[in-house]
Amino acid sequence: MDFAISSILFYVFAAMTLICACAVIFARNPVTSAMNMALCFAGTAALLFGMGAQFLGIVQIIVYAGAILVLFLFVVMMLDIRTEEEDNSFSVFRSLVRMAPGALVAGVFGSMICIAALKLPGATEWNNPLCTAWDARGELCVGKQESAESKSNGLYGGALPALNPAAAAKTLNPAISNEEAAKATGMPDVKLLGQNLFSRYNIAFVILSFALLAGTVGAVALSRKIRKD
Amino acid sequence: MSLIDTIWNWCVDLLSNEIWFYLITTVVKLVLMFAVILAFVVLSVWIERRVAGWIQDRPGPNRAGIPLQLFQRFGSKEKQPLKEWLHFFGIPETCWIAKLCTWLRLDREIPTFGLMQPCLDGGKLFLKQELTPSYVRKVYFTIAPMLVLGPPMVAAAVIPFASSVTTDFGTINMVVANIGIGPLWIFAISGLSVYGLTLAGWSSNSKYPFLGGLRATAQLISYEVAMGLSIIPLLMVFSTLNMQDIVQYQADNGWTLLPLWGEGLSWQRWALMAPLGLSFIIFVTCVFAEANRTPFDMAECETDLVGGYHSEYSSMKFASFFMGEYAAMVIGSALVVTLFLGGWSIGFGADEALHSVCSWLAVFCQFIMFLVKLVAFIFFFVWVRWTLPRFRWDQVMKLGWLVFLELAVANIFLTAAVLYFVK
Repeated sequence: MDFAISSILFYVFAAMTLICACAVIFARNPVTSAMNMALCFAGTAALLFGMGAQFLGIVQIIVYAGAILVLFLFVVMMLDIRTEEEDNSFSVFRSLVRMAPGALVAGVFGSMICIAALKLPGATEWNNPLCTAWDARGELCVGKQESAESKSNGLYGGALPALNPAAAAKTLNPAISNEEAAKATGMPDVKLLGQNLFSRYNIAFVILSFALLAGTVGAVALSRKIRKD
Repeated sequence: MSLIDTIWNWCVDLLSNEIWFYLITTVVKLVLMFAVILAFVVLSVWIERRVAGWIQDRPGPNRAGIPLQLFQRFGSKEKQPLKEWLHFFGIPETCWIAKLCTWLRLDREIPTFGLMQPCLDGGKLFLKQELTPSYVRKVYFTIAPMLVLGPPMVAAAVIPFASSVTTDFGTINMVVANIGIGPLWIFAISGLSVYGLTLAGWSSNSKYPFLGGLRATAQLISYEVAMGLSIIPLLMVFSTLNMQDIVQYQADNGWTLLPLWGEGLSWQRWALMAPLGLSFIIFVTCVFAEANRTPFDMAECETDLVGGYHSEYSSMKFASFFMGEYAAMVIGSALVVTLFLGGWSIGFGADEALHSVCSWLAVFCQFIMFLVKLVAFIFFFVWVRWTLPRFRWDQVMKLGWLVFLELAVANIFLTAAVLYFVK
């Protein structure tokens, strides 16, 4: 029952995300586009929730839907862009010029996603039969350590290690006993994320923070009026 | 007898099923939480008006009782039921009981101390004519009030209102959604109500509402930053994001602002009071700004913006904005109570003692305690509103970006230093 509900919700939210993403492009009114984008973010957050990455989902809502998109909306409203006038004259050259940059960007992003998907463990082992997510649940989950459960049953190529709350709890806090670790339910996703971010990816994290800081300083420098008196 | 037994057995069977047990308890908790929030929206309107009257030395709305003329209408021949009742019990009309009853206006109405006033307000708003100006952008004009009222209701899901109870069928945790990201959930969801304010301002298609909407957007985004940073010291002390765990920690080791038992008696814990007190001040101020309450009600500042973002709204659409604002205030109060004032915990070890007697009794007392704290903090909200004047717009922005943001960041380092050197 649990499984049925979560897979139904997955398709509902995936459909919502895709439909809203299309509506962002096709809407004539920029405010409608922005609102559809907000719904698209909400759908993505719901998908992340469904995968058990609650922290990432909520950060998606706080940062993208709650702050960045509101600023978009702010600017769109301030500029008060009129809905685009219908252009009746048709020219092959002009429509090609219009489409080329969009096609280029879409192609780059599309190939990026394809390469990333193909680089997933087991993605290129075509001879493996397809299986439902439920059958492959041991392999599809991302976690910390191998356990007896995570042994590949050959349904899905190379195995990702299984979601193992007890092992994760033990890794984070070696002092606790095995019985206490076994009681842990749900992954401590905030702690795992924080630990990875501040140990394994620390340098990248610091460099990104500096890039953001430079952006902020630049924005202040550009918008500040220097008085000459 | 056998019928009752059958029904009883059916209920036991139903509750023994794990999924049905989960569904039924969740729905009951959901309804309870929703009812509490809606009741508190109404109650806080009443508290607002009574306290306003009290602070300004006037009675406030104290007359809206249930008039006894109604009974006369429905068949009672007697004009004054009070005299009849006094005669019935043989009490003379000049004794103190009769005088007390007269003073309580029992001869004219059933007294409710003005509690009927919010209901009548609601009825009035409901029956008013709905005026939608012809120049508005209809779709967004209609969904904007919903976007303001909805988020606070959803945000309430993670607030624990009592500890847990172990029954024969399983453990019931007295929080609707026991997720590991409690405060962040509230920030994220209640932050979405900014869409309602912005869209209301924009879709009204007129000057003052638009300015109100822009102000609301800028203010909410600015204060969300300081608000998020100000609870980091708290999370460093609790080292968890689960609201139920946060309250349990406070029940065991003393409330954040009142560490008088458990671990709270150590001097190390009291050394943490400086950063925690600072973060309390920053957080409460940001909650005021997020709830759009005076002294931060820039978005609906009557003196320069007519009515702010809801100038063009009337009837129930206006009432939705009104209710959304009060719901945001209730949620803000609940968050402050949970993070800083111990949530449902009764304190001084009383939780443990009550649990050892009867867990249902403990849960009931904790729920009452939570409501008492909530009312006390709502009173504080109203008190501030009628004490402080409104800021100027540029002062609000300056306070948010130049004072609170820096203070909150410095506070994180201060807490880290205290935790490192003291503990």
